[in-house]
Amino acid sequence: MGETKKGPAGILLPGTLDMLILKALNRGDLHGYAIAQFIQQASLDVLKVEEGALYPALHRLEVRGWLKAEWGASDNNRRAKFYRLTASGRRALEQEAAYWQRVASAVNRVMQTA
Amino acid sequence: MDRFVSAWHRLKALVLRKRLDRDLEAELSFHLAMREAEYLRDGIAPERARDEARRQFGNVTSFKEQTREMWTFPSFESLRQDVRFAFRTLRKSPGFTVVAVLALAIGIGGNTAIFSLVDSVRAHALPYSEPDRLVQLWGNVLRARLERRGTSYPDYSDWRKLSTSFVDVAAVDQQSVTLTGVDETERISSEYVAAPYFSILGATPARGRTFSDAEDVVGQPSYVTVLSDGLWRRRFGADPQIVGRTISLTGQSYTVIGVMRPDFKGITDRAELWVPFAVYAPPTVMAERGNRGFAPIARLKPGVTVAAAQSEMDGIAKQLEQAYPATNEKRGVEVSPLDVELVGALRPALLTLMTAVAFVLLIACANVANLLIARSETRRREIAVRTALGAGRGRLMRQLITESCVLTGLGAIAGLAFAQGAVALLVAQSPVTFPSFVTPGLDARVAAFTVAVSLTCGILVGLAPGLQARSIDLNSALKETARGSDGRRSQRLRNALVVAELAMAVVLLVGAGLMIRSVRNLIALDPGFEPDHVLAMRVSIPRANVPTPAPTPPGTAAPPAQPVILGRALLDRVRTVPGVAAVALSTDLPLDGGGGAVFYAAEGMPPVNAQNVPRAYFHRVSPEFFATLRIPIVAGRTFEESELTATSPALIVSERVTKRFWPGQEPIGKRVKFGQLTSQNPWLTIVGVVGEVKYRGLPDNPTADPDVYLPFADRNAQISLAVRTSVPPSTLVAPIRALIRSVDPSIPVYATASMDELIASQTSRSRFTMWLMGVFAAIALALAVIGIYGVMSYLVSQRTREIGIRLALGARGADILRLVVGNGARLIAIGIGIGVAAAVALQRLVSTLLFGVTAADGAAVVAIGILAVVALIACYLPALRATRVDPLRALRYE
Repeated sequence: MGETKKGPAGILLPGTLDMLILKALNRGDLHGYAIAQFIQQASLDVLKVEEGALYPALHRLEVRGWLKAEWGASDNNRRAKFYRLTASGRRALEQEAAYWQRVASAVNRVMQTA
Repeated sequence: MDRFVSAWHRLKALVLRKRLDRDLEAELSFHLAMREAEYLRDGIAPERARDEARRQFGNVTSFKEQTREMWTFPSFESLRQDVRFAFRTLRKSPGFTVVAVLALAIGIGGNTAIFSLVDSVRAHALPYSEPDRLVQLWGNVLRARLERRGTSYPDYSDWRKLSTSFVDVAAVDQQSVTLTGVDETERISSEYVAAPYFSILGATPARGRTFSDAEDVVGQPSYVTVLSDGLWRRRFGADPQIVGRTISLTGQSYTVIGVMRPDFKGITDRAELWVPFAVYAPPTVMAERGNRGFAPIARLKPGVTVAAAQSEMDGIAKQLEQAYPATNEKRGVEVSPLDVELVGALRPALLTLMTAVAFVLLIACANVANLLIARSETRRREIAVRTALGAGRGRLMRQLITESCVLTGLGAIAGLAFAQGAVALLVAQSPVTFPSFVTPGLDARVAAFTVAVSLTCGILVGLAPGLQARSIDLNSALKETARGSDGRRSQRLRNALVVAELAMAVVLLVGAGLMIRSVRNLIALDPGFEPDHVLAMRVSIPRANVPTPAPTPPGTAAPPAQPVILGRALLDRVRTVPGVAAVALSTDLPLDGGGGAVFYAAEGMPPVNAQNVPRAYFHRVSPEFFATLRIPIVAGRTFEESELTATSPALIVSERVTKRFWPGQEPIGKRVKFGQLTSQNPWLTIVGVVGEVKYRGLPDNPTADPDVYLPFADRNAQISLAVRTSVPPSTLVAPIRALIRSVDPSIPVYATASMDELIASQTSRSRFTMWLMGVFAAIALALAVIGIYGVMSYLVSQRTREIGIRLALGARGADILRLVVGNGARLIAIGIGIGVAAAVALQRLVSTLLFGVTAADGAAVVAIGILAVVALIACYLPALRATRVDPLRALRYE
């Protein structure tokens, strides 16, 4: 069991990991490793997820019905599990994104006050 | 919708566990391999690349675990783990497990057994359709207090006509009849019932039909009868042609019109035969509004409550009181649920037992909790390590409670087996006769009760060590040597549990002591006669042999004087049986349930009203009656042979009569008449005064009415014989039976019982409760002693090192003894103190079950003394062991 430690670099706000995963999958089906790569690269290495933390999240989203998983072949022809957004996953992403925008700009506004 | 998806996924996970695990394994190793490959591409050395990939990933096992939890019902999953873990731990300490499971099995099993009894006498246990709508209607009279009297046929007819609360009302009364002409003459328990009786109870015949309205008309007697399935099989060989056959009952021919289904035994639970209520008594007798004696049954209309029916009947009683003031003054009606009438009497005793057995369970739980705490002390390191590894406190608590629930579960399983046997034994051995439809068994309700009880116990018992574990200080626990020293808090908790155990045991012991004492008082009670070596029996002399056929109410009619023939002759014959010391005849004997009451008037008495009109129970007795039963004659004499006629004016009264009307005067020669002063009944002259007899119940007669005795005139068909024997009474039953059969084989002899047995049946409920309370108290005592012994020996083992040092420093054995025993004695004193206080409070609650006992009774003091001594011994033994500790070994004990 052990304590869950938060990622070493950019600290993820609670709940944002789910949103990032959904965002990553919005562009197409990916396996777990590719999702980790995407988040790292797209955030210019600011958001470094402890990679293992990805999997509980992926499975949680799958159980929730937002993702669908399928086994397929990776680029180097290894067996990998690919995740795809479902319709309700897409809806969830829109909601999360909109919510995130609101919160982020609100935080920004606060921070920009003199 | 999403919720369905989740549930589906999780259910799938439950079934496809193995595959999901494999997939997850594959998924994670793919990820690690990809990362490793990337690092290799970046030119990192192979072994570093692998470590780096793992570092980047985090704790693989932990994430695997977390991922798996996403799939499963997490609580279910951890429960499964906990249960498996609990079984493993319990297997590792079999001694502890066996003791704990046994204690719990006794507690839970006892509760299950008593609960199944309580449950089986609940309302809908009655074997009739919709029994909660069945009521019995009692005619009541308001005298010094409200007394139940039953009703008369005219009152019943009016109730039936005027009331609207009921679907129907039916007269019913129990009486025995003599079945002759088929093999042996036999008295059959039967019910006289009005036609609607069967439909009210929802009973239908298996063959033929039940009574019609035409057969319900008083004055046009229809001699028809319905048989029970049992009688039909027993006496008529299950004759398929039985309907239409004629049988002879008490000298009268009856046509069988039906046979009931096997499970129907009437409301008396032992009826074997039914005859129309119209033949209950001669029409002239049934027309008397004041001649009361039976309590009809009725079925409430749907939606009508007992209270609503009661208020309607109150109104009807008022109407009748106005219309017939002479017979109905202060007469009311009581609407009583039938289940209260049939099984209600058992409930208080059963509830007392339920309380007692719940105490036993609590004591068992306290014991197990104590054992668990002791164990959790030795498991401090294990718990500390688990906490250090990240087990949450809640998780830990849950695991400890799961462990105790597994224990109580095992206890419940063993307890169920135990209860199964115990219930059968209880019902078979009980001095209380349970109604035949009370069939306690282990059904779903009982099982549910057991599960609930064992879960509650599991949680209660697990809470103690669970709370204990919360307070463990990680640092010190991990640093400690394997043998942890006992925390102050846990010691206090354990002490509290021992005190509670002792207190509860005291309550039970005091309770049992009080019950035992109360029953002894009941048994030792002077019933007004000497019951030992007296055999009671009834004979029914066929009508043809009796001078006049119909039994006559005393003193009313004046038939010509008849010399005593058959009864007296029988008496003379019985007297010749070896072992018979004395014989007497009477219409009824004490405690045999017979007898009737009359109003009377004493010469010169002041005017009376309905509340205090003199009322007495009358019996016709032969001259030997008082000497045979050893009822003291206070003044005057017994009857003389010449007075044994129906018209004799001689009367013997019990002391209450003379004390009421002629206190301090010479009672002999005073005059009394039945009915009112103004009635035409002849005056009767008192020739003797005798002591009061507990004729109708123990510890006392239900009402304070006195008894009056008339000369035995040998005109009754049913005669009671009282036989005083010089040998054990039961040995004379067969010789006397044989003798009477040799006189006339058509005379049935029945209801043979020794007076001691009749008295025993009066006290059976108390004895039943006493017996079980004694068993429970003994178990409680044993458990409490085990508990205190366990705590004391644990304490000693904890202090072995300290004791060793003390001994090494020169302490003597006696000092050590004093130290340890003193500690225990304090607990014992506190426990007993609390227990006594609680017992005194509780005693008020159970006082209805007790007779002539106060809480400060000797029996209770003795019981507490026993507990204190046994508990002290339980302290003394470990203490004695402590003094034998070898100082050297004790110091090396670690």
